[in-house]
Amino acid sequence: MSPCVTKVNSNLAAVTFFAKTHAGDVCGSNGLPLTPNSIAILGRAQYLKTIEHPNLCEYLDIIRGKHERTIIVSEYAGAPLDEKIKICNDVKTILRIFYQVAEGLNEINDHGFACHNLEPSNILLDSQNNVKLFNYGLFYMTKQGEYVSFPIGNIRYLPPERLLGSQNNIKSDVWSLGMIIAELFLECQFWSSLKISNIIRKILSLSNVSKVFEKIAREHNCFEKYDNLNSDVRELIERCLSTSISSRPMPNDIINNKLFQENIETYAYKAPPKPEQLLLRCPLKQVYYLWQLAGGDVQTELKKEGLIRSEAPILSMPKIVCLNGKIGGSKRSQSHLADNRIVILRLNNLVERLRKVPSMAYFPLIHSPKFAVHYGAGMEQLPLVIRERDTEYQFYRVMLFSRMLKGYPFTRDMIIKEAQIDIPPLLRGAVWACLLDVIEDGSYERIDKVTPTSTDRQIEVDIPRCHQYDELLSSPEGHRKLKRLLKAWVASHPQYVYWQGLDSLTAPFLYLNFNNEERAFLSLYKFIPKYLHWFFLKDNSAVIKEYLCKFSQLTAYHEPVLAKHLNSISFIPELFAIPWFLTMFSHVFPLHKIIHLWDKLMLGDNSYPLFIGISVLKQLKSTLMSSGFNECILLFSDLPDIVMETCVVESQKMYSVTPKSICYRKNVLHEVDPGEFDISDISLSELQGEVSPRISANDLIDLIFNGKDAVVILDLRGSLEFSRMRVAGSINIPFTTVLLGDTRLESLGVPNLESILADKIVVIVSVVHENAVLFSKFLIDCGVSRVCVLHQGFNILHAVVPSVLVST
Amino acid sequence: MATTPRGGGTAQRPNGASQNKICQFKLVLLGESAVGKSSLVLRFVKGQFHEYQESTIGAAFLTQTLCIDDTAVKFEIWDTAGQERYHSLAPMYYRGAQAAIVVYDIQNQDSFQRAKTWVKELQRQASPNIVIALAGNKADLSNSRVVEYEEAKQYAEENGLLFMETSAKTAMNVNDIFLAIAKKLPKNDGAGNQGSGQGRRLAEVEQNRQTNNCCK
Repeated sequence: MSPCVTKVNSNLAAVTFFAKTHAGDVCGSNGLPLTPNSIAILGRAQYLKTIEHPNLCEYLDIIRGKHERTIIVSEYAGAPLDEKIKICNDVKTILRIFYQVAEGLNEINDHGFACHNLEPSNILLDSQNNVKLFNYGLFYMTKQGEYVSFPIGNIRYLPPERLLGSQNNIKSDVWSLGMIIAELFLECQFWSSLKISNIIRKILSLSNVSKVFEKIAREHNCFEKYDNLNSDVRELIERCLSTSISSRPMPNDIINNKLFQENIETYAYKAPPKPEQLLLRCPLKQVYYLWQLAGGDVQTELKKEGLIRSEAPILSMPKIVCLNGKIGGSKRSQSHLADNRIVILRLNNLVERLRKVPSMAYFPLIHSPKFAVHYGAGMEQLPLVIRERDTEYQFYRVMLFSRMLKGYPFTRDMIIKEAQIDIPPLLRGAVWACLLDVIEDGSYERIDKVTPTSTDRQIEVDIPRCHQYDELLSSPEGHRKLKRLLKAWVASHPQYVYWQGLDSLTAPFLYLNFNNEERAFLSLYKFIPKYLHWFFLKDNSAVIKEYLCKFSQLTAYHEPVLAKHLNSISFIPELFAIPWFLTMFSHVFPLHKIIHLWDKLMLGDNSYPLFIGISVLKQLKSTLMSSGFNECILLFSDLPDIVMETCVVESQKMYSVTPKSICYRKNVLHEVDPGEFDISDISLSELQGEVSPRISANDLIDLIFNGKDAVVILDLRGSLEFSRMRVAGSINIPFTTVLLGDTRLESLGVPNLESILADKIVVIVSVVHENAVLFSKFLIDCGVSRVCVLHQGFNILHAVVPSVLVST
Repeated sequence: MATTPRGGGTAQRPNGASQNKICQFKLVLLGESAVGKSSLVLRFVKGQFHEYQESTIGAAFLTQTLCIDDTAVKFEIWDTAGQERYHSLAPMYYRGAQAAIVVYDIQNQDSFQRAKTWVKELQRQASPNIVIALAGNKADLSNSRVVEYEEAKQYAEENGLLFMETSAKTAMNVNDIFLAIAKKLPKNDGAGNQGSGQGRRLAEVEQNRQTNNCCK
């Protein structure tokens, strides 16, 4: 690796412009505020980030600044043609440019839009004289220029039809290409001394000229050069400059012209030698991401170059404000004018930060245990927010995960293992999809997302209210995508219906996979049966009731004192927890919190969300304990700031120490049939009658053999039966001796019972289930935690082999 | 007459020692989704308006106190989800309620029809003495009105409902409609001087459906 940091060539650059501000009216006809144009641009431009082609600069980021400022970060490789014009004087190089620009235009055309911004300064040439078009998406992202107040494209290279208002035709770009190539061959800039109005006049006057190239050549006294050109070349340029659009070639026709095809290797893209800096071999999106982590800030860079200038606000005060909102009298601010300067984002800081990274780390050998150096080890202990912002750590994580993702689905187990540590934010969408077992197979495309249905109205009123603080989700493009996803989900699930809340549930997936709707869809598609099985049935009341009942039971299991209090004030989950679970908290938390919550959720099973719910209660415990019903419900109507990290840690802790059968619900996707010693089929009414959860014989046995004293068994049978046969170490509390009204542990007459039960899972074993249920309530009232009842009672233990019972 | 809404969260005893009566009423908001139920409550309780008010899932609960003469009227407001599918939850909220505001959007005929169905349901299943108000919301957007004022007014009169066109956005008639309800609710002696709310125990309320007395 080169130690010399100053010589790093950066190929990241930023340009900036202002989106048009809405004049006067701030609200549309629906009463909602008009979406700022910069947000609309931000949404549209996301698509450009997906375009990867050797002849096009890669789009990396779109940033909104103050006052509708829009900043575009993109690749910038090489130097612009207008700077290199002197060395582009041989036929071969010019034809190479001709060919490769056509390749770039062809790709743009394949993506269904037009460039309309082609000029020498936007054609970059690298060391091999490969072409990369720059800023080719400006026309597209601004919706044909609708969102900005300046004209797009250099007048000099615009064809007559563009001047007359026609747009969106790639053939207009072919004209621009023709002009640029003509200039190169004739070695002069056309109409260089004319004013803009005269240039327009000149171009329009070409409208009825049959041989434009020849006409221009004569006008600039270059007829000789024109005449000396190879006739095929001359012919092709002449066709590009044909005023009749239909006789102009498509970019693809230029590419396939025999002029190029006969000598294709001379003209085609030649990959430049790999940069010595390993960092520069990484995908640009990663480099840019790391650059930001290393302290890079595009706005600061633009400020340094004077592209963002701040003015005293008082100077921009209008002199007149009309009642209709129109303002006038303020001088047009110079700082708001379009400025097409390009600012290179220097990589020095990033390179310095990653200087100590060994070359090996760029190529993690995930399948060779011999070389498995765990980079970044030791950092796991740091808080997540710090890890997520540490350049070096994220570098290791991104390298590792990108490598693993390439091997998916075969590397799924490795991905799960690493995801347990943390998930790099840059790759979160893809990692989640892996955790959810998503395989992209093109199925999304085939789903009908267009046909109107009866749910459309509901979807349409919900979308403009769904996480609208987020720029992406509030953009018109975001609205369209969310609508398509929801319609697709409804269309592919005839057994389910759209419940309000599905929008919130979909939002995180769209947010992370904005440019990959299929992945967003399939993630949602897999997520719902895993965590919300049958929640979206038309009649989901039994499912929700069971869920909330299990939530109450688990609250009593982990937080008996709190559960008792909430129960005493009739603060039932039905009143506050439906939006929590129906949307997996995506309706109650902002996106940046949901993401960290779901990072862990994805690794747990269907019971995990219940523990999140309990940890939320736990965090608010002191307030809840001292409040009555009204205060409690008010607290949840406007959920206070929950510390997500604590919530995640807490819920994980509870999740990992709770035996699986404790969380048993009927309404989940059961992958294996339950055995004799598992819990199966508890009816809703039975469930609702029990304060404590049940535990399966399997889990109890497992606890007895492997639990290392994690369990205490309280046997409610009579002392005679107990002495005859019992689980070794269990404590006998004959039910007949229990005074249910006297809720003190001491009343049971077992010495040191409180300390015996502390930090243990307390399993109540009986032959009369009703007694066990009553006794569990008694224990909860005494404040004993982790109380559960053995499913099917003592008698099930007779059948267990090897026996856990002892007799005297 | 003092009509100032007071503090958001807990019931605050109004200033002025002469005010010695506190009445608590349970009020429920019903209506089609996106007509502005939550926005009305937010405007009334916090004096705020959010353009992108999130949809309500299940229900939300808020309280607000109004002063009428020497009586402080505390509303315990259940703001319900609008989507038809959440209908099955609605009885849990309107049972035992002494007042209801049924909201529609003046730009949307369907939402007016839906409001009529809610009124019917309330008349049939809620407490017999429930005070029902009809609110034609989004009155600031009268340019795109489809439900005529007269039409709704007439319907309200025929059914004995309070009626106002409101705008949560401009705050037009928002306090007024709550105030009108407060005035119409019976505030008999000894009413609601209890420390905690009538509408608080939904489970109990369900069992005691026959109660229709305002503050007891």
